[in-house]
Amino acid sequence: MNQDIKAEERFMGQNAWFSIFMGVTLLIISIYPMLDKTSAPLLILGVSAFLGSFFMFVIRGGFTRKMKYHLTYKDEYLNTIDTIAYKHVVLALLFSMGAVYLSSDSFALHISHSMMATFYLAIMCLVYGISILWQNRD
Amino acid sequence: MQNNIAEFRKAAGLSQQELADAINVSRKTISTVETARFTPSVIIALKIAQHFDTSVESLFLLDETD
Repeated sequence: MNQDIKAEERFMGQNAWFSIFMGVTLLIISIYPMLDKTSAPLLILGVSAFLGSFFMFVIRGGFTRKMKYHLTYKDEYLNTIDTIAYKHVVLALLFSMGAVYLSSDSFALHISHSMMATFYLAIMCLVYGISILWQNRD
Repeated sequence: MQNNIAEFRKAAGLSQQELADAINVSRKTISTVETARFTPSVIIALKIAQHFDTSVESLFLLDETD
């Protein structure tokens, strides 16, 4: 049982950093097509860095085939900060959607729906990761 | 809400991790409860009180604002 709680603590730390990594990657992907000059080596480097971080997350997160998917954490504090982080995500999403709504006229012609969807996903991942790290401090 | 958990824990010679293991919660739970950043559930409060063989009232004190 204690091992479960320690595994949850370790998983949450890894999850927060992975969310930040994923958020930054998605943010770059969403703004990359707007750049006039594209760079293939930079793109390959970015993809490699993201895949590297993903596999580090899977390895260090302690995933096994026997693990079941749980929507909540067993530990009360971890569960509480996870719920608060989701609230932060919803607020950030609402603010970013509001900001895009107010300023969309200036860039609507240059940006596709998929880029905007990626941008919103990036915001959600970044805010989740930062919120967990901030709440998880000692 | 104030609490005396850190005093009880130090008097018992326990680290935060040892107390966390004893009542089956994360170390962060103990750390944030001690610094009054997190108010635990009745279950955790009772477990801590039971561990130190004392009452919940001697561990937790209500503020005037509570």
